[in-house]
Amino acid sequence: MNTAPSIPGLWCHDMIGSVVFYLLAAATLTATLLCITRTSPVHAVIYLVHAFFDLALIFYLFGAPLVAAWEMIIYAGAIMVLFLFIIMMLELSPGGKPLTVDRRRWIPVLILSLVTLGCTVLLIIQDPSSAGSGTAYHASPRDFGTALFDHYALAVQVVSFQLLFAAVGAYYVGKGEPRKRGEQPS
Amino acid sequence: MNQTLLFLIPLLPLACAVLNMLFGMRLPRLVAETLAVSGVAASFLLTLLFWGYADGAGTHALLGTWLPVGDITIPFALHFDALAAPMTLMVTGVATLIHLYAVGYMHDEEDYARFFGLLNLFVFAMLAIVLADNLLVLFLGWEGVGLCSYALIGFWYQKSENARAGTKAFLVTRVGDIFLAAALLWLFALTGTLEIAAINARAASFAPEVLTALTVLLLLGACGKSAQLPLMTWLADAMAGPTPVSALIHAATMVTAGVYLLCRLFPLVSLSPDGMAAIAVVGALTALYAATCALAQREIKRVLAYSTMSQVGYMFLAVGAGSVAGAMFHLLTHAFFKAALFMAAGCIIHLAGGENDILRMGGLFKRGPRELFWVFLAGALCLAGAPLTGGFFSKDGILLAVYTQGTPLFLALWGIGLLTALLTAVYTFRLVYLVFAGEPRGHGHPHDLPLLMRRPLWPLALLGLCGGLLNLPPLVGGHEWLTHRLGTLAGREILAGHSIEWALAGLATGLVILGWGFARWRYGQFRGEQENRASRFLLLGWRADALVDLLFVRPFTAMAGLCAIGCDRALVDATLDGLARQTTACGERLRGLTTGRVSTYLAGFVWGFLIILGWFLLALVK
Amino acid sequence: MIVPFAHVLIFAAILFTMGLGCVLARRNLIMILIGVEIMLNAAAVALVGGSAYWRQVDGQVFVVFLMAMTSAEVAISLAMVVYLRRRRGTLEADRFDGLRG
Repeated sequence: MNTAPSIPGLWCHDMIGSVVFYLLAAATLTATLLCITRTSPVHAVIYLVHAFFDLALIFYLFGAPLVAAWEMIIYAGAIMVLFLFIIMMLELSPGGKPLTVDRRRWIPVLILSLVTLGCTVLLIIQDPSSAGSGTAYHASPRDFGTALFDHYALAVQVVSFQLLFAAVGAYYVGKGEPRKRGEQPS
Repeated sequence: MNQTLLFLIPLLPLACAVLNMLFGMRLPRLVAETLAVSGVAASFLLTLLFWGYADGAGTHALLGTWLPVGDITIPFALHFDALAAPMTLMVTGVATLIHLYAVGYMHDEEDYARFFGLLNLFVFAMLAIVLADNLLVLFLGWEGVGLCSYALIGFWYQKSENARAGTKAFLVTRVGDIFLAAALLWLFALTGTLEIAAINARAASFAPEVLTALTVLLLLGACGKSAQLPLMTWLADAMAGPTPVSALIHAATMVTAGVYLLCRLFPLVSLSPDGMAAIAVVGALTALYAATCALAQREIKRVLAYSTMSQVGYMFLAVGAGSVAGAMFHLLTHAFFKAALFMAAGCIIHLAGGENDILRMGGLFKRGPRELFWVFLAGALCLAGAPLTGGFFSKDGILLAVYTQGTPLFLALWGIGLLTALLTAVYTFRLVYLVFAGEPRGHGHPHDLPLLMRRPLWPLALLGLCGGLLNLPPLVGGHEWLTHRLGTLAGREILAGHSIEWALAGLATGLVILGWGFARWRYGQFRGEQENRASRFLLLGWRADALVDLLFVRPFTAMAGLCAIGCDRALVDATLDGLARQTTACGERLRGLTTGRVSTYLAGFVWGFLIILGWFLLALVK
Repeated sequence: MIVPFAHVLIFAAILFTMGLGCVLARRNLIMILIGVEIMLNAAAVALVGGSAYWRQVDGQVFVVFLMAMTSAEVAISLAMVVYLRRRRGTLEADRFDGLRG
C-alpha cells in the first residue's frame, strides 16, 4: 500500500512543494489569527473557512487527497455553514460593541498560550526523529478505503452510532420545551 | 416430706409475681388479686406446715447449683432454722394481711397487675434474705428488696416527687449495698466460701482488726437497708408510695433486713467488741434522732416512718448489747403493731379525704368508725410501750440487756434508750390526740372504707397486744419461749436480779405515763401549733438532707460540672469544634475556586496540561 | 515528505495554541466553539503529517474519525447554543454559573 507514487502534476518538485507549504501555513495562521480576534461571529466564521481551505491544500500536499476533499466538504462546507446558519438564526449582532483590548483577559491568555507553545515546540525540536522529512507519500483512495473499512470497520460502526446519537440529541435539545399553559409565547 | 419442698415458700410468691407481671392485665381483676394474696398466704401456710423442720440445727435444702466457677460452687440452698422460721412466719403472715388490705386499698387503681406483681416480688426477695443459706443468695434478695422498694415507692411515678422519692430510696440504700458487697468479697477472700454457717464457724480464726472492719462494713450495709444513721434519709420520703407499700417496707420486710443480717452473722459480729459497740451506738443514736424528728412531723405517715426508724434503732441496740433474742423479739412485735398502725393510718387518710396533715384532722373518735380508733390505740400503746403490751416486753428486754452490759458506754446508751422511750410515748400520744380527739378540723370528704381495709387490722392489733407472750420473761411467769427456741442463736444470756428487772419495768411504766401525761396536757385540747426554729429543724429531720446535699451532692455536681465544662466542653469539644471550623474555613476558601464559569474550568484545564508538558520537559532534560 | 516533520508539528502547535487562546479569551459561546474547531484542525494537521512521515494510512483514517466526531460535537453544541439562547437570552459563557459552589 505504501508504494511511493510521485505526486502528480505541478507539485512533484520538493522545493516548490515546501515553499507552497510554508506559504499556506502562513496564510492559515494569519486567517486563524484574524478569525479569533473578530468581534462579529460572521466574520470569524468566514476567516475560518478561509483557513480551512488553506489546510485542505496542505493535506493535499501531504498526500492525503481524500482528507483534503473532506476537509472542504465537511468542515468548510457543512460545519461552518451550520455555524453561519445558527448565527443568522439567532440574529447575533454583527457589529455590536467593538472588540475591546481587555488586558485583564487577553494578557494572561497570551502568556499562557505562548508558554504552552514554547514547551511544545521545545519538545518537538528535542525529538531527533522529527528532523527528517522522508520521501513523499501518497495514500490512494483504494489504500484508504481498505484501511478504513477493513482494519477499522468496527470503529466506523461506532462512529456512525455516535453520529446517530448526536443527531437524536440535537433534535431533542433543539426541539424546545412544550409551551406551558398561560405562558406568553416568546 | 421432701425438704426441697421448703423452696415452695419463697418460690410461690415469685411464681405469682411472674404470672401477675406477665398476664395480670389480661386476667380478670379478681383473679389477679386472688393470685397475689393466695401466693403469699400459701407460703404462710407452708411455713406453718414445715415448722418442725426448724427444730434443732435446722434443715438444709438444696435446689441446685447456681454458679459453678472452678472449684467454687454457689448453690441455691435454703437454711430453715430457729432464727429463720419465726422470721419467715412473720414475713409471710404480715404480708398476707397487707396483701388483703392492699386489695381493698387499691380497688380504684388501674395498674393493679404491676402493683401486685411487685408486691409479691418484694415478699419473694425478703424471703430470699431470710432463708438464704449463703451470702450471695442473701445478697440477691437484698438487691431484690432494693429494686422492689424503688419501684413501689415510686409506684405513682406520674408525680415527679414520688419518682424522686423512689430514686432516693434506691440510691441511699445502694450506698449501704456497696459496703455489704465489700464485706461479702472480703469474707470470700478470707474463707473461700460464702456459706453463712461456714463463715460463722471460721470467724474465730480471723484477726481482731479484720473482724472489727468486717463488722463495720456489715453494719454500714445494714444501715442502708434499715435506715439507720447515717443512711436514714430515704425512709421518711419513702412515704410517697401507696400505704400498703409503706406497711410492707416498715413492718415486715425491708427495714428489718439489716437487723436480720446482723443476727444471722451474730457469731461473727459478736467476736468484735468494738464492732458491737459501734452497732449499739448507731442504734441508740438513731433511736433518739428519729424520736426527736417524730415529735415535730405533721404528716401522719412521716410520724410513723420516724417511729419505725427509732424502733429499728432499738433492735440495733439490742444486737449491739449481744441480745439476738431481744432484737428478734422486738422485730416481731414491732412488725405486728407497726403494720397495724400503718394500715390504720391508711384508713385514716382515706376517711379524711386524702388529708395527710394531722393538724387538720381531729375528731375522728366521734365521727369515724370506732373500731379504727381501737385498732389504732392498740398499735399506739404497743409503740409507746404501755405495760403488758408486746412492745412493752420487747423494749424492756432490750433496755435490760443494755443495762446489764454494765460498762459506762452502755449505761450512757441505756440512758439514751430511756429518753427515747419517753419521747416515743410523747409523739405516739400526740398522734393519737391530734387525730382522734376534739372536733374535726379538716374539710376533706371521707371516702368509704371497704371491709377488706378494716378486717386485716384486727389480727395485727391483737398480735401486737399479745406479742409479749412470745417471749414472756420469767419475772411475770413466762418462760421466754423465743429465747429457748433460738437456743444457741439467741446471743448472750442476760442475767439480772429480779429487783433490777422490777425496777426497770417500773421505770418504763413511769416514763410511758409521763409521756402520756405530757401529750394529754399539750395536745388534749387542740391549740394550734406554731412553727419555731426548733420544730422546723426537727420537721426537716435535723436538716439531714441539706447536710447530705452539702457534703456529697454539691461537690459531686461541681465535679461533674468541672468534667462537663472544663474537660468535655473546653477541651474535647473545643478541639473537635476547632478542627471542624478549620475544615469549614478551608472549604469556604476552596469554594471560591468553583465559580461555576466554564472559563475558570478551562483555565484549570490548561494549567494541568502545562504541568504535564513541564513533566515531559523535565524527563527530557534528565 | 516535502518539509521536515518538525515544521509540520510546530505549525500544528501554533494552530492549536491559537485555538486554545480563542477558547480561553473569548466569552461568546460561538467563538469558544470556533476555538475548539481550530484546535481539532491542528490535531488533524499533526495526524496527516504523521501519516505522511511514517508512510502509514492510519493517520488519515483517524482524521476521518475526527471529522465524524467533530460533526457530532458541533451538532450537539449548536443545539445547546440554540437552547441556551432561548432559555437564558444570552450567549455569554460567564453568565452560566449554575455550578458555582
